[in-house]
Amino acid sequence: MIIPNYKHKMAAHCESGTITALLNHGGLNITEPMVFGIASGIFFGYFHKMKSFAFPTFIVRNKPGQMRTNIEKRLGVRFKTYDFKDPVKGQQMLDQLLLQNIPTAAQVDFFYMDYVPSWERVHINVHFLVVAGKDANKYVISDAYFPGMVELDSTSLEKGRFAGGNMSPKGFIYNLDKIPAEIDYHKAIVKGIKKACFYMLKIPIPFLGIKGMHMFARKVVEWPKFARDNEHLSHEIMKINILLEDQGTGGAGFRFIYATFLQQAAGMIGKPELKQLSEELMKIGDGWREISLFSARIGKNRDLGPEKLKQLSDMIHDRADVEEQFFMSLSQAVK
Amino acid sequence: MSKPIEELKHEIKILIMSTLAINDIDPKDVDDDKPLFGGDNALTLDSVDAIEIIMAIQRTYGIRIADQNIARNVITSITSIATFIESQQANSAS
Repeated sequence: MIIPNYKHKMAAHCESGTITALLNHGGLNITEPMVFGIASGIFFGYFHKMKSFAFPTFIVRNKPGQMRTNIEKRLGVRFKTYDFKDPVKGQQMLDQLLLQNIPTAAQVDFFYMDYVPSWERVHINVHFLVVAGKDANKYVISDAYFPGMVELDSTSLEKGRFAGGNMSPKGFIYNLDKIPAEIDYHKAIVKGIKKACFYMLKIPIPFLGIKGMHMFARKVVEWPKFARDNEHLSHEIMKINILLEDQGTGGAGFRFIYATFLQQAAGMIGKPELKQLSEELMKIGDGWREISLFSARIGKNRDLGPEKLKQLSDMIHDRADVEEQFFMSLSQAVK
Repeated sequence: MSKPIEELKHEIKILIMSTLAINDIDPKDVDDDKPLFGGDNALTLDSVDAIEIIMAIQRTYGIRIADQNIARNVITSITSIATFIESQQANSAS
């Protein structure tokens, strides 16, 4: 049984795609880039030494779950959320919601999603999908990364929902509860942009936003000190490409999806300068894509000498500089 | 006016081979419909090659394949790349 009228759609990113799917099903006509932009999804953080990460890493989006809470605050929509200690209760609640024809988003460890080819499966505890129905022992899954809906047996879904480790899902599910009669998109868009600009330009933490990008650029030359050997280092350097391009970022570390948001926002709030900034951000994204390619290439060729890492560092500093200018202009546009 | 599809396919093969510095394969030996990744085509590519090809297509044809989910489907074979380029060019012309 698939929930009547539920429409599956591919999306660039699992969290914004899931939120968009629930809102669309609830009758709100909103695009994924608009959800991403209003939720201030664009971000940058560099983590050089942290307990949770075995190796230095970076993020290009805000904290998992924050898009949902930001969307609630800015659009006035409401989601009902649930988490569980007991997997049996977790499954009962999910089944109950499905029986009421309520599409339900779930947080899972991506590794247990059996419909994903084995070579693509990695442990990520913050993958989001929509459970859109159930047939006997199999759930109907609407995963934004897949072209169509897929089936998943209840044991695998339970393993995914109750996986342990860092940011464990704890059976977390949520569903749409309310869409307000009136939505002030102008206010929501401006607020979303202002907050994104604050995080990129003004947050007083040295490893976040533009400051974080410069830190990444400075520190990447030290990565060989943290690696076991050249193989390990090449793996970590190639991960830069994966983090920017291949983890549902919509390309270039979410820069393309945010550019699409600005293009749509320009028309909605009558600010043509956002369209121009959108074009600028597309070009900035191309520069991030050059970094992806460079990292993938030097990692693949095991060509990781100090001069190559310095070149990579310079490319990242350059992105930080152009993004600083970009976010300053964006900030001015919505002042 | 757009190029005939066969000409476009040949051009794509040349573009891929020059981008990846592949000199030991005759473009005629590259099957238009067989998978370019992990299959038994004369050209067998990996994920790093994929991003090089995406960027080469972007530069040559002025179209952006931003999203990796879409890119994965587009660069499956020579035919799928050609079809995508044609559709994008038709969209921008209309």
